[in-house]
Amino acid sequence: MADEQNTAVNVITEQARQWATEPFEQHETTVSRTDIARYARAVGETNPVYYDVEAAQRAGHPDVLAPAYFPYTIRMQAAHLIARSDLEPDGSSSADVPPLPTNRAMAGETRLEMGALIHAGDTITLDKRIVDLYEKSGRSGALVFVTTEFVFTNQHNEMVMNERFTRIYQ
Amino acid sequence: MSSIHALAAGAHIPELVRTPDPVDLFGFSAAAWLLHRIHYDLPFTTDHDGHPGLLVHGPLQGTYMIQSVQWWLGYEASLMSVKYRHSSPAYAGDTLTCGGTIGAIDDAAGLFNAELWVKKDDGTVTTSGAATFKIPGVTTSATRSEQP
Repeated sequence: MADEQNTAVNVITEQARQWATEPFEQHETTVSRTDIARYARAVGETNPVYYDVEAAQRAGHPDVLAPAYFPYTIRMQAAHLIARSDLEPDGSSSADVPPLPTNRAMAGETRLEMGALIHAGDTITLDKRIVDLYEKSGRSGALVFVTTEFVFTNQHNEMVMNERFTRIYQ
Repeated sequence: MSSIHALAAGAHIPELVRTPDPVDLFGFSAAAWLLHRIHYDLPFTTDHDGHPGLLVHGPLQGTYMIQSVQWWLGYEASLMSVKYRHSSPAYAGDTLTCGGTIGAIDDAAGLFNAELWVKKDDGTVTTSGAATFKIPGVTTSATRSEQP
């Protein structure tokens, strides 16, 4: 028998461990100037390199530039552009969520590594996989940590962003 | 364009104050096609989830931290990497102050580190982390970009 600390938690089932090894469907999108402008406005950017092709070109870019964390919108779209009936009652998507007895989640750590810049017209491919799934006993019961890696690659096969995001389920 | 030579380790990043309201939260949700109710449905968020207000997205706070550097040094300060975590929720209408300090500087590579945080008026840190930026090696003085 395992020691007491380990027996306190046993939330991650075989089914959840199996889920973590299954490949996700790849998602691909071609980034438009409108996509970039919408995101740039949403985060309050005013620099014309995000809106105006000529300003972007004067700054040495082939087309309008996407703000640093723009790929976030691509991974959210990948998870949420599903049938309305497949969304949870709270509007969230379970696309990246393991089969656990709880879906009460908190955001843990986000780690981003940036690569090539994204410009309008680029085709971005998103690959995701579960890189970590483990449990700990917390003061109020078991906590399950799920780390998902999102790798964004452009049409030249250059990495544009690598994101590791950890969700904590209570 | 900014110069890495104008930076000093330990220097404070000028504070950037953002007060996201429900329009800002809805705009961010819309741009990301993020349908979670806790960012736009106040009765659901208070009655069902027990929060006092609409929640400010974690990635929006992460973006504010990146902007606190880029709006100070100019957009030539390109983000190389960042990590952050959330320690307390931020709600629509909260005054969020973003700041931090310059860490290690690598002159030759044009890289510098920054410790970054987002705080509420009562001093509660909602998000904190560390980032690495790169600045091209051109020597002009640092200028602050226009803010909306």
